[in-house]
Amino acid sequence: MAADMRGGRADGRPGGRWFRFGCAALVLAAGCGRRDRIVVGAKNFTESDLLAEIVAQQIERRTGMPVGRRLHLGGTFVCHQAITSGRIDLYVEYTGTAFTAVLKHPPVQDRDSVYRAVAAEYGERFGIVWGKPFGFNNTFAIVVRRRDAERHGLKQVSDVARVAPRWRAGFGFEFLERADGFAGLARTYGLTFAAPPTAMDLGLTYRALADGRVDLIAGNSTDGQIEALDLVALEDDRHYFPPYEAAPVIRAEVLKRYPGVTAALDELAGRLSDAEMRRLNADADVRHRGITTIAREWLRANLP
Amino acid sequence: MRLFQFYAQNSGEALGLFWQHIYLVAISTGAATAVGLPLGVLLTRRPAWRGPVLGLANVFQTIPSLALFGFLIPLPFIGGIGARTAIVALVLYALLPIVRNTYTGIAGVDPAVRDAGRGMGMTDRQLLLMVELPLALGVILAGVRVATVVSVGTATIAAAIGAGGLGEYIFRGVAMVNDTLILAGALPAALLALAADGLLGFAERRLGWRPT
Repeated sequence: MAADMRGGRADGRPGGRWFRFGCAALVLAAGCGRRDRIVVGAKNFTESDLLAEIVAQQIERRTGMPVGRRLHLGGTFVCHQAITSGRIDLYVEYTGTAFTAVLKHPPVQDRDSVYRAVAAEYGERFGIVWGKPFGFNNTFAIVVRRRDAERHGLKQVSDVARVAPRWRAGFGFEFLERADGFAGLARTYGLTFAAPPTAMDLGLTYRALADGRVDLIAGNSTDGQIEALDLVALEDDRHYFPPYEAAPVIRAEVLKRYPGVTAALDELAGRLSDAEMRRLNADADVRHRGITTIAREWLRANLP
Repeated sequence: MRLFQFYAQNSGEALGLFWQHIYLVAISTGAATAVGLPLGVLLTRRPAWRGPVLGLANVFQTIPSLALFGFLIPLPFIGGIGARTAIVALVLYALLPIVRNTYTGIAGVDPAVRDAGRGMGMTDRQLLLMVELPLALGVILAGVRVATVVSVGTATIAAAIGAGGLGEYIFRGVAMVNDTLILAGALPAALLALAADGLLGFAERRLGWRPT
């Protein structure tokens, strides 16, 4: 439950000079020793590590090539630097993050056009290929207790308008501040709550919701807690939140040298739904199972 | 500078958070003193309790604030979200220096002075109020001073549980990678800590009895 899942979505500005220095040192250390193998990187949160492990094992299974892992590398900035400088060959990126944080475009709502835009621009500017998306969309999600959703028949965010005047909301600081956060959400769906939303730590909002201290929070749609705490994510029926589809990004050079990789990655396309990704995250974060085991079992069950 | 510009544009909000911060610190250190002082005195009368009580106060110090909030949210009366939970956490953090200094201050009173008091026919209560506490006051105040200064810093975490205070700017700044916003919270908190330290240091010098 990192405060900043996906590694700095729209505002991906990494910290100060020392931070950058540290990142550079890390990237250098990670790239020591050239190799005849593929190196997979990941950002510093569970989902990114999990997907990297799945991708790495898939390439190993299908091509028989050794795959190195550089997991938990720090945020978007570090991974992007690492891949453009050839220190890693592949990592899993989110379309929305690439669009806003890396390419510095203002957020756009349409899924396909964002994917097309990042794929084209990454190819041109960095020589990096966007693989096919895994299928899920890790964007903001409006989350309520399952009990309430059933009692009031809530399926979509627009259903909340009916009950909102009697409800309390709690949000992380980022969601309250962001351009694509609470203010726009309230406007788009006409939401007025019983009191102004409580600003609190993102991780604690899940506790507060589960314990009935607030009735509605904003999490990320693939958070493991949604499943573990018996909550539901409501559908963003007016498509307010920008898309954050996950897909592998690979250096074009690598695909040319090892043609088998493309086929191996294509097998993963569309195989992970929001719910499935949530379950895998919960396996790691809530049930504390190792990501290597989770990845192996998932591959064995889904792509024999 | 951008910070001044920020304050100029948000003076009402900034002032509100500043007072909220002072309120959190004042209530929590006040409560911690009200609990910690008698507790410290009690420990001098029941030496066997010293280990467990100080140990427990020590343990509170080591619990990360977010974890502590996580435990407190489901509890009735003292839990939930908002100022009350934040104050409970701050009180738990402030207890150790107050209890420990009260105990140490009284235990450090010269046994000869205590014997003289007893020899004059003082009851235990009289001995405490007329001899031990006045003599230990400097050390006790030093404990309250440490607790207050530390509280000014730790009270910034109150914003994590919806209790406001200057931490609100810090959390918002961190979430949005906005240095001005972080400074807008951190700078007045630091000044407040210095002011509290100076004020209580002054009180300590005026009220404390010092052996020469």
